[in-house]
Amino acid sequence: MTDLALMTAPSPAPVATRAKIETKNLDFYYGATRALNNISLQLAPNTVTAFIGPSGCGKSTLLRVFNRMYDLYPGQRAEGEVLLDGKNILVPGLDLNLLRARIGMVFQKPTPFPMTIYENIAFGIKLYENLSRSELDGRVEHALRGAALWNEVKDKLDASGLSLSGGQQQRLCIARTVAIQPEVILFDEPCSALDPISTAKVEELLDELKAKYTIAIVTHNMQQAARVSEFTAFMYLGELVEFAQTTRIFTAPEKRQTQDYITGRFG
Amino acid sequence: MSPSPFVFPCGARLVNIETRMKSLPVDRARALAAFRLGDASFYWLTRICALVVLCILGGIILSLMIGAWPAIQTFGFDFLVTRRWAPQLEPTPVLGALGPIYGTLVTSALAMLVAVPVGIGIAIFLSELCPPALRRPVGIAIELLAGIPSIIYGMWGFFVLAPFMTDHVQPLFIDLFDGVPVLGAIFAGPPSYLSLFNASLVLAIMVLPFITAISRDVFMSVPPMLKESAYGLGCTTWEVVRNVVIPYTRTGVIGGIMLALGRALGETMAVTFIIGNSFQISGSIFAPGTTISAAIASEFAEASGVHQSALILLGLLLFVLTFIVLASARLMLARLERKAGA
Repeated sequence: MTDLALMTAPSPAPVATRAKIETKNLDFYYGATRALNNISLQLAPNTVTAFIGPSGCGKSTLLRVFNRMYDLYPGQRAEGEVLLDGKNILVPGLDLNLLRARIGMVFQKPTPFPMTIYENIAFGIKLYENLSRSELDGRVEHALRGAALWNEVKDKLDASGLSLSGGQQQRLCIARTVAIQPEVILFDEPCSALDPISTAKVEELLDELKAKYTIAIVTHNMQQAARVSEFTAFMYLGELVEFAQTTRIFTAPEKRQTQDYITGRFG
Repeated sequence: MSPSPFVFPCGARLVNIETRMKSLPVDRARALAAFRLGDASFYWLTRICALVVLCILGGIILSLMIGAWPAIQTFGFDFLVTRRWAPQLEPTPVLGALGPIYGTLVTSALAMLVAVPVGIGIAIFLSELCPPALRRPVGIAIELLAGIPSIIYGMWGFFVLAPFMTDHVQPLFIDLFDGVPVLGAIFAGPPSYLSLFNASLVLAIMVLPFITAISRDVFMSVPPMLKESAYGLGCTTWEVVRNVVIPYTRTGVIGGIMLALGRALGETMAVTFIIGNSFQISGSIFAPGTTISAAIASEFAEASGVHQSALILLGLLLFVLTFIVLASARLMLARLERKAGA
């Protein structure tokens, strides 16, 4: 872990553990507008990395590069390299469906599909595996337990996913993501639409999930970043200002900008 | 200006506001009273507009019933099941609505069979797959298609589509299904310019824009985040459309289909041109036929007495038919909603 602590921007030091995701000189453009500028960082496996920074600083954009979600929209493009287990995922011709199966994503607002709770989970599994009904049942239960939702929904699996409360819906989305057994999970402000109790549940969940997955989370809530993450990246205007262990960022940041942001002196 | 330019004007404004606050309650009451009159008249205006619609609807139903009464008295329930249409017969003509009803249902069903998949397909292409440069031109073309007067569809169908279909497409189907038990009868020859099949195709083209335009609009209204979360699981575009976009927009899409079906059931001019106006029911879709509206349009001018009344009764039947179709669509929709438990 001491080696990992050395991972600071802009030139990440070599690390003992191989990075799960590594970006090298990543630039990102919305048409002619540059939204990310020369981002180089590494996400260590089985850790939670938080991305903080004011709105529009590019943290969500960065997340959307990791699973190439930006590919859905013409005019958006990334330059540089993003390595997943050492392989560049920005190369053309990459199977995006397989990539997104390996890198799951949970969004700002709960987005349950317009189907039953059971189908919400089973849907993703069925895309990749041809399972018997009982095996599928097992996987659905496993995923719902993994997202700490099983006890609340086990008696109404046939109800619509939309009938759940906001917090439950978000955990359903997490369960759905976990169900297809990705390697990395990206959280884009997962708690911004949730009440404090639901937020606490999701945060607990993050702590459990990192045993199995590599997690990147974008958040506007500094306390949340401090609570859930091992590493924190502070971004501003498309640049990676500082990237270090969370404890260091929040106690002894190197950059003045970071200090100002976490103490609320600039917005 | 002096070093503190804001002090004086600021203080003055403060005083000003204070005096205004004091006189406020009176002013506000008067202002509100003025609004009350406007509110009341607006309320009555809109309410009268809404009631006028009800009156018109009731009036139409009533006048149709009065007009149809002689025919109802003469033919009774038999009108619905009689295949013969002989207005010239002495002493009393024999008139039955089975032929037009059959023609109306068959042409509408065929038209929907063609238009629904094609229309939704175009909508999916426009909203999910189309390069942005092509999106506008195709979208505008679809909307223009909806604006073409139906008489033009009729002429085009008569002079262009029908000959082409009759010479090239109908023989293909006739040969293909020759000898097959049920399909053989449905696609029985000989090919004919004036046929249910050709009329259905023109109808399909006419209702296509409704289905496409409405489906495209509701597909576009799906939150990007919902689609992204399906893509995020690794779905292909087809899987996203089938499992997320269409279920999410089901109500809107069905609404568009019903609007199209309503138009197909009642469409007159284009159909009258190419359906052949034959009251025979022959089972084959390549045979001529007629629809309720085509029958009324082609005979109303020369009809009198019971014949005329029978045509009005046909109109009443079309009204009822459309109502039943739309009502059952609503029922189906309500059922779907309950099943989805939204």
